[in-house]
Amino acid sequence: MVFSSIPFLFFFLPLCLILYYLVPFKVKNYILLVFSLVFYAWGEPIYILLMLFETLSDYTLGRIMDKAADGSFRRKLCLALSVIIDLSVLGFFKYADFLIESVNAFAGTSLTPLGLGLPIGISFFTFQTMSYTIDLYKKEVAVEKNYFYYLTYVSMFPQLIAGPIVRFSTVNEELHERKIDFEGFIQGGLRFLQGLFKKVLLANTIGSLWEVIKAAAFASTGELSVVSAWLGAICFTLQLYFDFSAYSDMAIGMGRMLGFHYLENFNYPLSAVSVTDFWRRWHISLSTWFRDYVYIPLGGNRHGELKQLRNMFVVWFLTGLWHGAAWNFILWGLFYGVLLALEKNIWGKALGKLPAVLQHLYAMFIYVTGFVIFVFDDMGQLGHYLRIMFGMSGAPVVNADILWYLRNNFLILILGCIISFPVYPWLRGKLRSAAKGNGGLSEMITRETFITILRSSFYIILFFLTTAYLVNDTYNPFLYFRF
Amino acid sequence: MQNKSNKNEDYLLWGVRNVGNVITVMTVTLAILVFGVWFLVSPKQEFSESENRQLALWPTYTFQSLKDGSYMSSIQKYLSDHFPARDQFMTLKTKAEIMMGKQEINNIYLAKDGYLIEAYDEPKQNEKIITQYGKLYQDITTDAKNNIKLMLVPTAVTVYNDKLPASAPDKGELKQLETMDEIYNARPEMKRIDCYQGLLEAAQAEKTASEFTPLYYHTDHHWTTYGAYVAYREYCKAEGIEPLPEEAFTKTVVTDSFRGTVYSKLNDTTVPGEEMTIYENPDNVLSVNYTDSQEVTDTLYNKEYLEKKDKYSMFLNNLHPLIEITNETADSDKVMVLVKDSYANSIVPFLVNHYKTIYVFDTRYYRFGPASFINEHPEVTDVLVLYNMNTIDTDLGIGGIF
Repeated sequence: MVFSSIPFLFFFLPLCLILYYLVPFKVKNYILLVFSLVFYAWGEPIYILLMLFETLSDYTLGRIMDKAADGSFRRKLCLALSVIIDLSVLGFFKYADFLIESVNAFAGTSLTPLGLGLPIGISFFTFQTMSYTIDLYKKEVAVEKNYFYYLTYVSMFPQLIAGPIVRFSTVNEELHERKIDFEGFIQGGLRFLQGLFKKVLLANTIGSLWEVIKAAAFASTGELSVVSAWLGAICFTLQLYFDFSAYSDMAIGMGRMLGFHYLENFNYPLSAVSVTDFWRRWHISLSTWFRDYVYIPLGGNRHGELKQLRNMFVVWFLTGLWHGAAWNFILWGLFYGVLLALEKNIWGKALGKLPAVLQHLYAMFIYVTGFVIFVFDDMGQLGHYLRIMFGMSGAPVVNADILWYLRNNFLILILGCIISFPVYPWLRGKLRSAAKGNGGLSEMITRETFITILRSSFYIILFFLTTAYLVNDTYNPFLYFRF
Repeated sequence: MQNKSNKNEDYLLWGVRNVGNVITVMTVTLAILVFGVWFLVSPKQEFSESENRQLALWPTYTFQSLKDGSYMSSIQKYLSDHFPARDQFMTLKTKAEIMMGKQEINNIYLAKDGYLIEAYDEPKQNEKIITQYGKLYQDITTDAKNNIKLMLVPTAVTVYNDKLPASAPDKGELKQLETMDEIYNARPEMKRIDCYQGLLEAAQAEKTASEFTPLYYHTDHHWTTYGAYVAYREYCKAEGIEPLPEEAFTKTVVTDSFRGTVYSKLNDTTVPGEEMTIYENPDNVLSVNYTDSQEVTDTLYNKEYLEKKDKYSMFLNNLHPLIEITNETADSDKVMVLVKDSYANSIVPFLVNHYKTIYVFDTRYYRFGPASFINEHPEVTDVLVLYNMNTIDTDLGIGGIF
């Protein structure tokens, strides 16, 4: 089930919340668990067993580890087993066919691919459950004694299938004791609505323009111009950002409604001024996961430059691979690995001295190109599209198609570009000081009331508009669904 | 003091904002609950008049469908098909998109002069269509084999291409004509009857005329009766028949509130209804036999449909697998087999003047290929295959194979 759908919004979520609020606290986790399992089984009725298996194994290993003496072999063994089991399951279901096909391609063998479907959200919940045993080994979290609570943590529907990757340490205490109040419902509700609007009104509409341009790039008739190809790449960038960050917004919002506080996952990544900055703002829960569980354990930057470069290479290779079992994702990861290394060692300082506009343009050029690598898992298609973008295909620089694309979409594109920068918080601040402005208290309150009414009406109108789009949904994909 | 009053102000203003937030979230919550309950208690339609299609049914549970997830996706389909105020939500979405500057919504161009024109999808089944036509030709063993005519009708996107919005992908690209040529050229054994030139000339004439009858409906994918009349004249020219002049027909405006299939894809309620005119020859003495329902009438129209949304269905009483039409006053004893889609329903009133009997086949619903019918009826002298360029891609039943 996806959040931006009629069944979820009008049936699943209200039913879940009503029951959740009505039952006594002791039962709340169980209600959440049952709904989460239904939520998962809705899209993945068979592979749910896989999630049950992984959680049960990590829970059990956690219990054994907890009883073992400090520094004992048994503790180490538990950790090793947990990591091996989790990664084997992930490796088998996500990467086996990729490995088989790669071996076939390089060695000329003809092994038959297994044809396993990728279990929804496996990359997310595997990383979540691993964070528990690793942190437990490092004694950074307390052991979880109730298996159902542990399963609730891993399977919790807001963050189950597309992140953020919530670590056990973030919700450990709230699993047992949390404040569920009206304030949380309101704040969480607002956050959820923001995500919903972003997903349905921005990501889907901009995404359908990308689909049109992509189709034009590979159509037998007509030619995609260089400018249109760049417009397409920008559309995909916006679509992916809105889609994915909207999912995190909705997750964080629903978590809040349920009494949980998840960490932020995005911080206006498209407004980055460098590649380093971009990765501090994009999918934060993933990059910090790799930092804390791969980069730092490998030695980080503490063993000289050469080792640091090796560590960066490993991390970015894995980051790419995590996104999907295909060469383009590895390429995408390494593309960033190389650029980060270059930024760190060569032009980072000089870049920082450039005017801000140029820094933004530099970062945009890189992330837009990067997402083109990201979107085509067929290398032939990727090459074809990049050749158009960089004027190496003989395609015209510009043609009349661009007029049609812009005429039909300019408002939504402008809106998308604006919203991907931190304009909303800025506007909020401006409005607050405008309301406060001059005059007496009653004038201030009048102004604030006026602004508040405007904002509330805006939300409510957008909600009905979103419903209209959902009822007539023709195009409603979830991009990060399959990672 | 200053500081304290400042804090007090901040607190009050925060309070106002907070009330606003509560109102926002509670209104949305209420709306969700109301729609949820409304959905549960409202009676469910099986058929959507405005969209002219069967709505999804609640799926039957099987373990298999649960396992492969089709059970869940069917439920999803059911929920969105039966969602309360579905048509109104469609209107809201269209309005918002028009406000955002869209000129193409759901594959419909918002064209000049109030025309809603369907975009052209390149056919995916060209090869199959050509094969099916070849099969029809091969399977016929009577003399009619040498008198098979093919008339492919371009739609508004081609004939009214001028009306499309500037720089639209279909503007200036007459892809339908290329497809038509491809099919015509692949089947030289079928006589090519081209109505494009005639329709185009009529479309050009419109531009200078002060008053004219349109060739296509503004809100529907069909041609008007006048459009069909223009094509009929082209048919007569190709066949060496003397066409009846327009004056020979009594024209009746049967409704002025027709909103057709293209309208339904947008549901933009500000689009006005339009007129539908029928042309009747008072001299005809007709007998129309709907073989599936065994119903026999003396008219080519079923005016009951004028009370409904789907008004175009008044022509030849909507779709039937096989209709037998005889006209006592036809100017020849020739017998025609007409293999067609709904476009032809508008041209039949003209053709009956020249054929004693016309057997009208809709192969989407007729289960036995028309070829076997023709072989069993050696009196058939003419075969006319007539399709519009948008339907042709979806109708592969002509050879009797489904």
